Amino acid sequence: MKYLYYPGCSQEVTAKNYDVSAKAVAKTLGLEMEEMENWNCCGVAFMVAELEVPGYAVPARNLALAEKMGAEQMVTVCPACHIALQKATNYVNDYPNVNKTVNEALGKANLSYSGKVPTRHLLEVIYHDLGLEKVREAVKKPLTNLKVAAYSGCQLTRPLGKELGSYEYPVILDETLQALGAETIDYTRKARCCGGMAMTTAPDVAMKLCWDILEEVTRKGAQIIVTACPLCQINLEGYQTQINSKFNKNFNIPVVYFTQMMGLAFGLPESELRMKQNLTDTGKVLETAAKGGK
Amino acid sequence: MEETPRIGVYVCYCGSNIAGTVDVEEVAKYAAGIPNVVVAKTYKYMCSDPGQELIKQDIKNLKLNRVVVASCSPLMHEGTFRRAVAEAGLNPYLYQMANIREQVSWVTKDREKATAKAKALVNAAVRRVALHEPLQRKEFPVNPNVLVVGGGIAGIEAALKCASAGKKVYLVEKEPTIGGHMAKFDKTFPTLDCAACILTPKMTDVGRHPNIEMMSWSEVEEVSGFVGNFKVKVKKKSRFVKDSCTGCADCLSVCPVDVPSEFEQGLAMRKAIYRPFPQAVPGIMIIDKKGVSPCRTSCPAGTFAHAYIQMARTGKYEKALEITRRTIPLPSACGRVCYHYCELDCARGELDEPIAINPIKRFVGDYGIKANLKPAPFKKQHDEKVAVIGGGPAGLACAHQLAMKGYETTIFESAPEAGGIMRWGIPNFRMPKDVLKKEIEYLQAEGINIKTGIKVNDAQSLLNDGYKAVLIATGTNENLKLKVEGEELKGIYPALDFLYQINSGKNPLVGDKVVVVGGGNTATDAARSALRLGAKEVTILFNRTEEDLSAHPELIADTKAEGIKFHYQAIPVQFKGAGKVAEIVCRKTELGNPDSTGRRRVTPIEGSEFTIPADTVIVALGDKSDLGELGKNIKTTPWGTYKVDSVTLETSVKGVFAAGDCVTSAASIVEAFYTGNEAAESIHRTLRGEDMKKDRQPVVKVGRPDFSKKYPKAPRQKNTTTPVAERVKNFAEVDLGLSEPQVIKEAERCLNCAVCCECYECATVCGDRKNIDYNMPDQTVELEVGAIIVATGFKLFDAAVMERYGYGKLPNVYNSLEFERLTNASGPTSGEVLLRNGKKPESVAILHCIGSRDKEYHAYCSRVCCMYALKFAHLVVEKVKGAKIYDFYIDMRAFGKGYEEFYNRLLEEGVEFVRGKVAEVTDFYEKPEEEGKLIVKAEDTLLGTLRRIPVDMVVLCNGLTPGPNANTLNRVFGISCSQEGFFLEKHPKLAPVSTANDGVYIAGTCQGPKDIPDTVAQGAAAACEAIALIDKGKVDIEPIYAVVNEDLCSGCRICNTICPYSAIEFDEVKKVSRVNEALCKGCGTCVATCPSSAITARHYTDEEIMTEIEGILVG
Repeated sequence: MKYLYYPGCSQEVTAKNYDVSAKAVAKTLGLEMEEMENWNCCGVAFMVAELEVPGYAVPARNLALAEKMGAEQMVTVCPACHIALQKATNYVNDYPNVNKTVNEALGKANLSYSGKVPTRHLLEVIYHDLGLEKVREAVKKPLTNLKVAAYSGCQLTRPLGKELGSYEYPVILDETLQALGAETIDYTRKARCCGGMAMTTAPDVAMKLCWDILEEVTRKGAQIIVTACPLCQINLEGYQTQINSKFNKNFNIPVVYFTQMMGLAFGLPESELRMKQNLTDTGKVLETAAKGGK
Repeated sequence: MEETPRIGVYVCYCGSNIAGTVDVEEVAKYAAGIPNVVVAKTYKYMCSDPGQELIKQDIKNLKLNRVVVASCSPLMHEGTFRRAVAEAGLNPYLYQMANIREQVSWVTKDREKATAKAKALVNAAVRRVALHEPLQRKEFPVNPNVLVVGGGIAGIEAALKCASAGKKVYLVEKEPTIGGHMAKFDKTFPTLDCAACILTPKMTDVGRHPNIEMMSWSEVEEVSGFVGNFKVKVKKKSRFVKDSCTGCADCLSVCPVDVPSEFEQGLAMRKAIYRPFPQAVPGIMIIDKKGVSPCRTSCPAGTFAHAYIQMARTGKYEKALEITRRTIPLPSACGRVCYHYCELDCARGELDEPIAINPIKRFVGDYGIKANLKPAPFKKQHDEKVAVIGGGPAGLACAHQLAMKGYETTIFESAPEAGGIMRWGIPNFRMPKDVLKKEIEYLQAEGINIKTGIKVNDAQSLLNDGYKAVLIATGTNENLKLKVEGEELKGIYPALDFLYQINSGKNPLVGDKVVVVGGGNTATDAARSALRLGAKEVTILFNRTEEDLSAHPELIADTKAEGIKFHYQAIPVQFKGAGKVAEIVCRKTELGNPDSTGRRRVTPIEGSEFTIPADTVIVALGDKSDLGELGKNIKTTPWGTYKVDSVTLETSVKGVFAAGDCVTSAASIVEAFYTGNEAAESIHRTLRGEDMKKDRQPVVKVGRPDFSKKYPKAPRQKNTTTPVAERVKNFAEVDLGLSEPQVIKEAERCLNCAVCCECYECATVCGDRKNIDYNMPDQTVELEVGAIIVATGFKLFDAAVMERYGYGKLPNVYNSLEFERLTNASGPTSGEVLLRNGKKPESVAILHCIGSRDKEYHAYCSRVCCMYALKFAHLVVEKVKGAKIYDFYIDMRAFGKGYEEFYNRLLEEGVEFVRGKVAEVTDFYEKPEEEGKLIVKAEDTLLGTLRRIPVDMVVLCNGLTPGPNANTLNRVFGISCSQEGFFLEKHPKLAPVSTANDGVYIAGTCQGPKDIPDTVAQGAAAACEAIALIDKGKVDIEPIYAVVNEDLCSGCRICNTICPYSAIEFDEVKKVSRVNEALCKGCGTCVATCPSSAITARHYTDEEIMTEIEGILVG
């Protein structure tokens, strides 16, 4: 099949709303994605810890299964999964020793991977394969009066995402949100790190990075932040209270997934948007926007 | 080949370069066994004198007639060995080289494999050389002229050197002045010489030198030929200013247009007529004219809209009015009712909204009325009198033009007052009659006699009365009828009659329910008039759909706003009533397929009748001309208009012309002005005996603004209008136009599409000197030169692509050329270092390596930036006392003479040097005291910390990149570009100014980034190469070219088109192709292409190539 959807661990529980809204949006746009069964964690933690065998073999198992199923490409919504899977593919192709190790490991499970399945992020698939015209056509309730901050995060474009635009200043997420009728703000921290996993290991550093983002978007008048990464979402939204007390601020800005915004504009029901799962009260912001207030 | 080949084979050790991998002795032993080889020797360094001597001795002693050397690449030493062979008395082409170094020892690791390969190559070479023919080089004379392309410091230096050696130099420069980038600099490092002070004397030398022909504002289009014999086509673009211009600059103060100055890097404005900088050479002016602005070309009358907009912008309303009157006799009237085609084509409309071109004209016209401006008294210039029949738009326009030309003109108008449709057809609320009256009085003061109440029935009678020419401009005066039962009932008015009555002061009776039949402007005028006369309900009945209404969209909107309804797709089929109309029987229509004109056919639907009540009906189907008595003896068209010549507008009667609606059928007022103007021109030419048709419809290029630049959006100013509720109470004017501040704001939005607005002020002030010619054409000249020096310079890296530095977004981030202009005393701030708000900066950051040493942009080091960064730092120290200066660098490259000392000087001047490339420049402040500053973030690698430094101003050190046309120019000159895009030199160490194309040399930054001393040195070096070539007097050409066997040639000419050097000519007499040996580069394309196998390449015959291949495969 053309697109094989790889959910990724975050999308099982904490970012379930991302998973549900992504599938609903894909369906609305006519993007046929088959959800993968029997997938395992992408293993990005191993890759980051530079453990060579699990670092490449763990993601490769998914790709081997995909290859076996005859999938043309994998689609994921998490940038970390994207990097893990695509890097595994790249290394299996470019380095014979990695290829050997990985296939030896996979061989124990009667699997093998030839390196032929590319992985792409859902945002990029919608932008390039479907086109924004299709998105515009599907919009039933344009998000006019809504000022959003398109937060791409650092891993969407780095290092593999050149197709998603300039590393430092990508506009693909902005353009997608504009196609939904929203007004996007112009700000410089749009592709800067939110701290990522450092929120757990070096929280002071990560919270400062999040403060930078929250502060700039607030100054520029954004009412809502839209992301394409579950870790960014949880860092920016989940830790707002802690950031508030650390920096003596009172941020209360909702952080939602781009698929939730798309679903909202497409008129999909709450059961497919799962806005209620968000930690901030998204309803209030969206209500104000609908009335035309700021 | 008659004699038996006696081949000598020499295998070189090349030290250990070859011998380290190849068993040289083994190869020589093998060679000795090949047939025809008389001797096979080895030597450590064949290219050395003893090595060459070895060959020469053997040729003499062993009577060798062929030589093979197995050593390095022919590029290295083919020349060396050919010369050695020639010195021993053998033809140099009886020599072959086998490359066993670059092709064997340097690329093969295994000794056995390498030796085997070397043997195969030697075998191949031996077999080939046996077939070589003794070839002779041909000599050609060298043209002693030199072409220097590019007038920067490199080109200037090269030109001066060649000229002082007595050569004629053509210096072609694409900008209006020579001087290049150096002219923009302030001071130069390390001596801090003022750039202009050291450059301008050289520039004047160039301008004055008897041997240098300077062609500025010119570009090389085509180069053909070969070394010593080049033919060059140069396009000399038009300056629109003659060479006799003295540069007095009187014109600068009268030009109204302001556009960003390229020389000042956009930091200051210049005029449309300008000189790039005061010391420009040549010092004459140039007009930036990109054709004609679209507002002028889209106006049917060719009104100088751009010009009057710019005049209004600068507050010169009287001048603006004068310009408007060049084509429009009634500016205030026109400014109210014109269709304004100009606004549809206005390029601003592509950005946000078109300029309010028409309202600006109206303002200017009204200004004239308020100020009671009077025209200059009429000056009779010609004796002939002219008569105009009809005082409407066309007639008034014609009379106005004739009066300006000095003819006594009389208008015969049948109505009580002149004005035509403007007086009698358009209601007062759109066309106030007092305004119209004042404008007609102005025309009378111009010298036009208007006789009202006179209906002329015979044009010939006027000619008999002594008028030398007559214009008929009687317009459309008859209403089209519906031809429907009941049309004669009371209460049914033809629209023109209805409006005529109102405009005569009589108010026709109007009931409660008014229906207007029609869809044009007149229908809306009639409907809105009826409303004002007391109708309770007004409906417009139209046979098509809304999109087919011919009324102007603005009028439709106004009509709807006043509460008038539109009923679409219905036609009246019968009017019913007892004496007076009471109701209309209508039928629905459907729209079918488009007919030949593209309009959909209207078909009434059978049986779809319905009735609507109406006590008043106004029929506004359109008007036509009733040519009446006047048209009796004149040829007419089948649709009731005068038949005229499409260019001259003359009718079938000599001396009688026609213009306006009576020629075109109902059209717009501005089109009537156009035909009236054209008729006046025709009348003038007829009376003066001039050619009637010459230059009547010149082809013009439409100018477009440079949309690659960013223009901030700004909405269009809205006209003040009476509130709707007030409007319908009376016939007072509804649209009250723009105020003066609004007019200026609107005019500021103009993008100056063609730049020069054609106000003609510069020509006026130049006066009798007549140095300005708006129609000056471009010229193409052909030059013949022997050598070409390409010195086309560089382009500064555009930092806007690196969003992290905020260039183009954050106002106080400057690039290096902009900063040069700031510090330059003749620049936009008179040499002061100022922020955009005019204040002095308290702190300045200078950032190295912008766009350089960066894999994402340019990997190379730009060589000069470290030094100019230091220069900038020094200038800030000098000009802004007490400023804190930070210099962010990766390395400090101070390689030249005096450079390290200059660096030391800056260290002592208190500049803080931070070793770390800047990661970002942002206005995102963290602490309140940082607000408004630019935060510069970098890792200080010496301290090992991250630094965030707030400063007021950031200066970027952008790298030098290849010139803007490098990737097309290289093809013109037949030279290559390196990977980075700079022109490629022949050898990076030993031949920095020559190229692979003999006779073409390069110099300066087009070859790679470098400072001024190195640029000047290269300019002189290139001149030296050119002079050496020319002084030799002749060149000899490699005899490796293609030859056509004329017996086999079929004359198909495929080779003619396929030759990349256009070196093959066709003999029309013999019907065969022939190769021009001088132009042929021996590429072999024609040889492979010829379907008759009639072409052979000398020294690369099929036999030679095949035997070489066999040698490799067999050996």
